[in-house]
Amino acid sequence: MSADRPAASRRMVNVVIDGSALSVPEGTLVVEAAKLAGTSVPVYCYHPKMDPVGLCRICLVEIEKTPKLQIACATRVTEGMVVHTSSERVAQARNGVLEFLLLNHPLDCPICDKGGECDLQDFTMSYGPGLSRLTEPKLHKPKRVDLGPTIVLDEERCILCRRCTRFDDEIAQERNLVVIDRGHRSLIGTSDGGPYRSYFSGNTTEICPVGALTSKAYRFRARPWDLTHADSVCAQCSVGCNFRIDSRFGRIMRTFTRENLEIDDGWICDRGRYTFNYLYEPTRLRRPLMRRGDDLAECSLDDAAALCAEKLGPAARAGRVGVIGGGRLSDEEAFALQAFARQVLGTNNIDYRVHLQKFASPARFGARLIDIDDASLVLMFGAYTPEQAPILDLRLRRAVARHHTQLMYIGPYRPHLPVEAQYVEYTPGAIADLMMQLADTVHQGRTESGDGFVADIARRLAQAEKIIAVHNGRDPASVSALDRLLETLAGYNHRVGVLVVGSQGNARGAEAAGCVPNLGPGYAPCSGEAGMTTGEMLKAAADGALDALFIAGANPALTFADGALARRALENVPFLAVAEQVLTETAALADIVFPTASFAEKRGHVTNLEGRRQAFGQAVEPPVDVLSDAEIIALVARAMGHAESVSPQPAALLAGLVRAESAAERSVGDLLPRAKVDAVQPAAVEKVDATHRTFTIIPVPHLYSGGGAVAHDPGTAPMRPRPYAIVNPEDAARVGVVPGERLTLSGSGGSIDVEARVGPQAPVGVALVLADMPEAPANKLLDASGFGTATISKAASVPEQRSLERVSA
Amino acid sequence: MATFEPVLTKGVGQLDLTDVAAYRKNGGFVALEKALKDMTPESIIAEVTASNLRGRGGAGFPTGKKWGFLPKDGRPRYLVCNCDEAEPGTFKDHMLLEQTPLQLIEGLILSAYAINAAHIVVYIRGEFLEGYRIFMRALSAAREAGYVGDNLLGSGYSADILVHRGAGAYICGEETAMLESIEGKRGEPRLKPPFPANAGLFGMPTVVNNVETLCCIPHILTRGAAWFASIGPPKSPGPKIISVSGQVQKPGNYEIPMGLPAGELLQDYAGGLLPGRTLKAIQPGGGSSAAIFAEDLHTGIDYDSLAAKQTMLGSGGFVVMDDTTCMVRASMTLVRFFEYESCGQCTPCREGGQWVHRILRRLEAGEGSDADLLVLNTINDTLTGTNLCPLGDSIMPFLLSVLRRFPQEFAEHVTLAGCPFDPARRMVAA
Repeated sequence: MSADRPAASRRMVNVVIDGSALSVPEGTLVVEAAKLAGTSVPVYCYHPKMDPVGLCRICLVEIEKTPKLQIACATRVTEGMVVHTSSERVAQARNGVLEFLLLNHPLDCPICDKGGECDLQDFTMSYGPGLSRLTEPKLHKPKRVDLGPTIVLDEERCILCRRCTRFDDEIAQERNLVVIDRGHRSLIGTSDGGPYRSYFSGNTTEICPVGALTSKAYRFRARPWDLTHADSVCAQCSVGCNFRIDSRFGRIMRTFTRENLEIDDGWICDRGRYTFNYLYEPTRLRRPLMRRGDDLAECSLDDAAALCAEKLGPAARAGRVGVIGGGRLSDEEAFALQAFARQVLGTNNIDYRVHLQKFASPARFGARLIDIDDASLVLMFGAYTPEQAPILDLRLRRAVARHHTQLMYIGPYRPHLPVEAQYVEYTPGAIADLMMQLADTVHQGRTESGDGFVADIARRLAQAEKIIAVHNGRDPASVSALDRLLETLAGYNHRVGVLVVGSQGNARGAEAAGCVPNLGPGYAPCSGEAGMTTGEMLKAAADGALDALFIAGANPALTFADGALARRALENVPFLAVAEQVLTETAALADIVFPTASFAEKRGHVTNLEGRRQAFGQAVEPPVDVLSDAEIIALVARAMGHAESVSPQPAALLAGLVRAESAAERSVGDLLPRAKVDAVQPAAVEKVDATHRTFTIIPVPHLYSGGGAVAHDPGTAPMRPRPYAIVNPEDAARVGVVPGERLTLSGSGGSIDVEARVGPQAPVGVALVLADMPEAPANKLLDASGFGTATISKAASVPEQRSLERVSA
Repeated sequence: MATFEPVLTKGVGQLDLTDVAAYRKNGGFVALEKALKDMTPESIIAEVTASNLRGRGGAGFPTGKKWGFLPKDGRPRYLVCNCDEAEPGTFKDHMLLEQTPLQLIEGLILSAYAINAAHIVVYIRGEFLEGYRIFMRALSAAREAGYVGDNLLGSGYSADILVHRGAGAYICGEETAMLESIEGKRGEPRLKPPFPANAGLFGMPTVVNNVETLCCIPHILTRGAAWFASIGPPKSPGPKIISVSGQVQKPGNYEIPMGLPAGELLQDYAGGLLPGRTLKAIQPGGGSSAAIFAEDLHTGIDYDSLAAKQTMLGSGGFVVMDDTTCMVRASMTLVRFFEYESCGQCTPCREGGQWVHRILRRLEAGEGSDADLLVLNTINDTLTGTNLCPLGDSIMPFLLSVLRRFPQEFAEHVTLAGCPFDPARRMVAA
């Protein structure tokens, strides 16, 4: 039961359910009490995560001293209550409800995806009538309704339990799915008649008790009894939702939630749910590739490993080698990767960080996801959870909507949130200052008297009993200022906590496994001098100071802030080996590409943003020549004569990692000494003057952006955005930008073409550019600070290419 | 002929009671002036409780008791007036709204004062366009005359009235569906508890009262609870407006003392049946009520007497059917209404309603079978008493009462393969 159910109080009451006496907390719903009594009451509309509505009437039970049958889903137990869940009257009522539900139901079970795991089938078998007494033709409703990019709706199968509309309302807080029309003519649809677009849409197919909502990815693909289940953990983002991978004959058919109340509360997002069909696309790498001039040609694993050994050996001996990656590997593989760097290549040049993120864990006040549930105030900056950690955001939405949690979002542009939030416009470089001012204001007790928005925020903080900060570990200065603020607040007996949203699914695991230049596994200071960070490695490679780079599960060409530097480095480095699942922008520049197994094709552990290490199992076998990253690393190490240094076995690797952690007396959930960071500080965004055509570029995240799996998946393709840039209406009028037209943004590192959008969320003088899109890499316009400047002009595809300067001149 | 002196409808048809002066001359606003000057809210509640006034919307819940349920926790309270009258055969609130809007306004202000409501909302059925216009004009006039608004009659008490119009859903007459509708949501009944007294409009303590109930309040305060309680049976006293329709000489709204025998209403007020006809069935309480028959004409028209006959006073829609009426057709018409108006939340109401309607339609068309009769005879067990609100429980009562009384008429529809009342068929038979 989720935390915000009308509190079942501690007082216990005695009830008798079907003859068995038991003691349950007062206020427990009869349906839940029945579960405790070992009996089950059938339900359709009732869902433990949502408010009871009492619509379907299948759960009618007999309660002594109450003349009418009562719905178990909404009736709460009282002292001395005697409940009968299988009396003659109850059986008759259930039979009647099922007869009603089946009247016009198409009974197309043989072709229905839900067949075999359908509550309508199951309850009909258990409690229903064998035959319908309906003697006329069934009423028909629309079948195959294309509800949106992910879902097909069959209105005839729908029993109008409204779990889906209530999910969209109560859980997602988006209020897009609604019931249309009335009575038996009721239909499920969207409030605006448009497609049902939600990052959480797949959950509705799961909670649908019948086959009305079916996912496009799974329609007509398999029967439930043919599926093999494997417990897994989603590694698409750092939340670490638990899920189950269902496969048939070695091929993944679908994914399914695997409730973990403390992490996902039983939900997963659509990116996590639907990104698996890229594994079966031609673009998935199945054979090692070796560079032949301008092309990459298939080769054998042994040849690829031999060439790696041949190139990496001398580079390592010369101390001119670097290793990048770890944030998209398992904990075991991240451990293997750093062992490969330190023990095989003899270098501390290893770094998992290929985004702007500097730290994946808080130095102090580490919080857990469930801390959001009862937080009085959530302070978010840098991180943008709706796009970067959807299931964390779902928890946050619920806290705001149901528990009066205040959400305060500090950032350079107005967020798009479905729940009420206070927005503080602040340029990223100035957030550290703001935190310091807040700390001072709170510390000096000036929260009551001061005015201005700093005092206003400080007052809110001072009034909040529990404060959770959510950020992305990007700016060391603001992070340490935050720590000071929280320390001050903690000193005044506020409960405080920090969650750092990882830029990669296993960022925190990679950090803990030692994929940083100055710390080994278990955050132990590494022996020898600290190595180079990603930025330093790329700089060195671009300058000809590195001879070889080994990159595993990372795509710096697209994600590293200074895109121009990254591309120059990857092009200039004499030898580049990349382990990847698809040919990313980085892999395309490599001399050797190893095809790697996905998370579904291997086993291991992954650490989420709380620092919780979770095991995931293998669901399917990878293709023949596809190895896990650990196996690839071990293969290369063996080719270099270091077979003993890196094991390919997850169990052995985990043992090594745990051994190192206990030697360092630290484990993955611990708060760590700081990793070495690049010297670059995020600059304050300078507002350009109004006559200028040069815009400050701020990259914005999107759930479906990225150049890896998600870019090659047919399932998520309809949800992928087209690259765009948003400018303020004022700027649009000034420089003549029309929504929908193609723009060219030209910066120091090159230019990209994007679709023009106009919206007030972009501050004046700023263009918000969709980040991490391979078609239009925003990092071409950025520098190491993560911001940049660019000139906006009409795109070349416009017949007469003229710059806006000339147009307006 | 009837001797009861009308209370609620006094002056209706003779005076323009939408005019403040005329209404005052008719005895209006006396109660309001007296109450604001001399009465505390508690004493008003006590008076209404002592009068034994029961809600005129249909359920007959004691009004004073309902007011007393409001929690005293300092939250703002709402008074909502249910003027969504849509029960088949009922048109009394419609008349009160158009003919005596100021009486309703006086009742509203008095009740709001009694329960200390911060806001008053009148939910007017969308189809009552003329009534809405009349009410709005009367409201401005009352406001101008100082009976509505700030600091009423110098008492320091302020109350204003907000009007919300419905959009054509019968279900919005159910009080919690009405609250949802006022809140701007889909008009559907809420799960209870919590009851509106605790969590009503916008989650605040709310009283929902019917138009006629509110119209009784000024009279109780002017003439006293004892006078009111002396009209009719002690447990359901007072004047009551009955909407008489169907095959009678003079259909219309009649104000009667509670407890008047049904036969007297039929004969003395409504002028009796049409010449040469005999009585077949009467629905005493609107489309939701089970029928009474010729031998029940001595039954008093009040809550308890009708309940003893397994039917109800309901909203007071008195629908008379004589021997020319086909019971299958009458049932079909009613069931079609409920089927069409079902909100669709509860399975039995949503699915059962359309099923029963289709069966009756087929029976009436001569395509029915014995299997259909069996369904009609047994479906009540699973259809009635299993729903969230009373709409689903309104589908079967009339049908069931006439099915039990006239089983041969239903059977005949099967054996004749058509309706015996169909004129074309009669000609063939002759």
